[in-house]
Amino acid sequence: MGFALIEKGRDVNKQILTGNQAVALGALRASVKVVTGYPGTPSTGCLTHLLTLDLPDRHVEWSSNEKVAFEIASAAAWAGHRALCTMKMSGLNVAYDALISIAYSGTNGGLVIYVADDPGVSAGMPEQDSRGFALMSQLPMLEPATLAEAYKLTQTAFELSEKTGSPVFVRLTTAVAVGHALVETEEAIAPKEIEPILERDIARYTKAGSKICLDQHQALIDRLNHARRIIHKMGLNRVKLSKEPGGLGIISVGATSTYMNEALALCSRLDASEASSSRVSVLSVRTTIPFPSEEVKQLLGHCETILVLEELEPHVEQAVYVAAQQLGFTGSIIGKLDGTLSPIGEYGVAEVLKGLGACGLSPVASGGKPQAAHNEPQVPNVPAPQESATLILASNAGAGRPPTVVGPNGEPSSTVLSSAAMAAPRPITVCAGCPHRGTYLAIEAAIKQAGFAKDDVMVTGDIGCTILGMNPPFNLIWNEVSMGTSISLAQGYVHAGLKTPVIATMGDSTFFHGGIPGLINAIQHQVPLTLVVMDNGWTSMTGMQVNAGTDDAFQSEGRRVDIEAVIRGLGPDRVEVVDPFDLNATTKALTRCLAEPQGVKVVLAQRECAIQTKRRGIVAEYTTIDPDKCILCKQCLRVTGCPALSVAQDSIAIDASLCNGCGLCTEFCPTGALSNSRAEGGAK
Amino acid sequence: MIACDIVLIGVGGQGIVTLGDLIGRAALAANVPVSYVPTKGMAQRGGFVKVEIRLGRETVGPRVPEHGADLVVSMERSEALKGLRFVRPNSRFILYDHVWEPTGVMLGKDDYPSQESVLETMSQALSDVLVLNPDNRPIFDDRPVAANVFTLGAMFSTPILRESIDPRTMESVLLHRWPKASEANLAAFHSGVQEGDATEYGFSQFSGGRKS
Ligand code: SF4
Ligand code: SF4
Repeated sequence: MGFALIEKGRDVNKQILTGNQAVALGALRASVKVVTGYPGTPSTGCLTHLLTLDLPDRHVEWSSNEKVAFEIASAAAWAGHRALCTMKMSGLNVAYDALISIAYSGTNGGLVIYVADDPGVSAGMPEQDSRGFALMSQLPMLEPATLAEAYKLTQTAFELSEKTGSPVFVRLTTAVAVGHALVETEEAIAPKEIEPILERDIARYTKAGSKICLDQHQALIDRLNHARRIIHKMGLNRVKLSKEPGGLGIISVGATSTYMNEALALCSRLDASEASSSRVSVLSVRTTIPFPSEEVKQLLGHCETILVLEELEPHVEQAVYVAAQQLGFTGSIIGKLDGTLSPIGEYGVAEVLKGLGACGLSPVASGGKPQAAHNEPQVPNVPAPQESATLILASNAGAGRPPTVVGPNGEPSSTVLSSAAMAAPRPITVCAGCPHRGTYLAIEAAIKQAGFAKDDVMVTGDIGCTILGMNPPFNLIWNEVSMGTSISLAQGYVHAGLKTPVIATMGDSTFFHGGIPGLINAIQHQVPLTLVVMDNGWTSMTGMQVNAGTDDAFQSEGRRVDIEAVIRGLGPDRVEVVDPFDLNATTKALTRCLAEPQGVKVVLAQRECAIQTKRRGIVAEYTTIDPDKCILCKQCLRVTGCPALSVAQDSIAIDASLCNGCGLCTEFCPTGALSNSRAEGGAK
Repeated sequence: MIACDIVLIGVGGQGIVTLGDLIGRAALAANVPVSYVPTKGMAQRGGFVKVEIRLGRETVGPRVPEHGADLVVSMERSEALKGLRFVRPNSRFILYDHVWEPTGVMLGKDDYPSQESVLETMSQALSDVLVLNPDNRPIFDDRPVAANVFTLGAMFSTPILRESIDPRTMESVLLHRWPKASEANLAAFHSGVQEGDATEYGFSQFSGGRKS
């Protein structure tokens, strides 16, 4: 949510934006026509923001998955328009099948893929480095370091894409994507009024035959080289050489550039720019692909030692080694490949200081700019290592050493580390009144009723809120791989010869995204299993996006796809449709499925996401506690783990602002202390 | 321009992310460069939440360096321990000493650190701490004032934040943000400032001891 517009000039706004919004507004400024995507933290906010705006001449949609999204954007760009496709890094895995083909074909209109990587893993899923995908498909990838750059480079990406005929990536990392800062933006520009291009050219738009494919490979390489020349001319990868040759050369990639400046300032009484002019040269890289070979050449020709700062995999560093070999560079290269820095986790000032420390630069503990004195971490000085003592920019005088906060190398002391471990564990669970709670409890009860032990029954899991069944108090789900995988994993376990029933679980958005092919496969091959689709009508975990199954009232254009009709249309052997708040009926339906040794059984558990009903002010029932009856056995809490329940002085307490009266807790109270209006009304 | 790095910590549902937004708005109104990044788990409440705020720096990476924060605020006792990696001995630390027990603790399966052990651990990393007692929140319209805005007030009792942003700017942001609740929010804010001013710093006042 951007806010507080300040009119600064005629058409320049200064506002606080997120990186996601900066990409969105950059695309509008670049007259994007079609925007597609699939939700995924940390990228979601880009398309979400566009959907809050009134954009009559553009098309913006959440697609059913990233591959579909990318294919739609690509065809719009083939037809000559500018198109943007947004996703998180895991989504790129899904889109990649189409993406690599379209990379070889190229594009007409500007085609930009916005992908957000998550170093440090704020949201779950592998800590993958999407630059590897750009390398493999040989597509340029722009890596803004700041939000202002995100706004500008998104526009650059569209221009570059059109000039070279290549799709172009914009890659942000979490802290930039979801971070907020002041960004100057200009008015959006409407999409061009053009006639869609209809070009019959099988040599370009098909992969029919080796001649076509080999020619396309050459064209792909040519486009990347073209992009390299343009990027060099634009000066996107900035080199700043020190006055005297020699010394340290720092290559900082994307988001690490800002931390490099900060760390350099800590190592010097001067600010970063002055520091670099004396003995430190700097190359700020904004495109790992195409590799800035000219700029790296300049740096290698000028410096004695090279420090490479890049998060995750050492893509730039490896290319620097190659360039060093070609140029006969004899100095040392510090980074991950020599073991100094780690490919794991997000980088901040601490990692940069570590790298600088290996090059002989250490922070000045006191002094510095007077007004910034209180900002300097009092990290004890690292003794200068052997070879590059000349690089020390400032003396170690006055280093005050705090006793226990940090260790000798600036790392958190054991006190600080163990103190974080002392904090109470806080595993997340489903929200108060979440319909999934009923489904988990019913699955557990059905396993028992069917005569099995919980630890003998494989329950495969999927992406999204439904995975929370892995946590206490449910401890029900065994695994999580990717969207729609649960149904295929379940089949593998059956073929492996499990004697007990196999259950797959997934949400509605996941079902539409990637679950359907797996279900088709199970039905075709008659694999005995039970699929539980937990349909809450929203893509919830990423913050409530509309999906194909969301109610008509919330479909901005188009309409709801009937998930039950889809499931029945595929023809499984049994379909049960249940309300997960009705624990009894849901358990019975599941028990019937587990009792049937053959065939594909699907249980569709339907009830809207509790957060969404709450937002609309719908409270169906009220649950109350009779403190006199409560014996504080905590059975309700133990079984449901509902966040609305807590232990008060002499009884359980219900947080009325959270409870939506789902009634599940009332089912487990041995004394009848908990009751809800529905139970009293006898409707059940 | 005073540079000030702040880390806010708490549990999803306490209004930590809102505090980050409020300070962001105030910085914008005060013409102070600001960058802030919230870290929260998923849509669910009850998980660890953190906001890193950097005031007074033009172009800056969003993450506050370890041992680099000027002000760390925790709105939950146990979570406060996760804030220690941002402190240096002279950082200001405000603990709004609310206890939010996870279910595992309520069921007796997990331990929750005592106030004594939390403060003892903090004393190894910090020279002092401001402990706010949630029970000291005044009543407004039959209810204790909002905990997060109360804590925001206490933050503005520290010189480092006052020097960056004028408290009156913060007040006007509060007024405009929720016009209907402006009185309640101003009451919460002012009582927080007063509570911050009136409370002694240190590790011995286990329940937010007041200066006499
Ligand atoms: S009825 Fe019980 S389980 Fe359902 S939301 Fe309320 S307290 Fe939680
Ligand atoms: S199950 Fe009933 S008696 Fe037991 S703690 Fe909960 S409300 Fe009290």
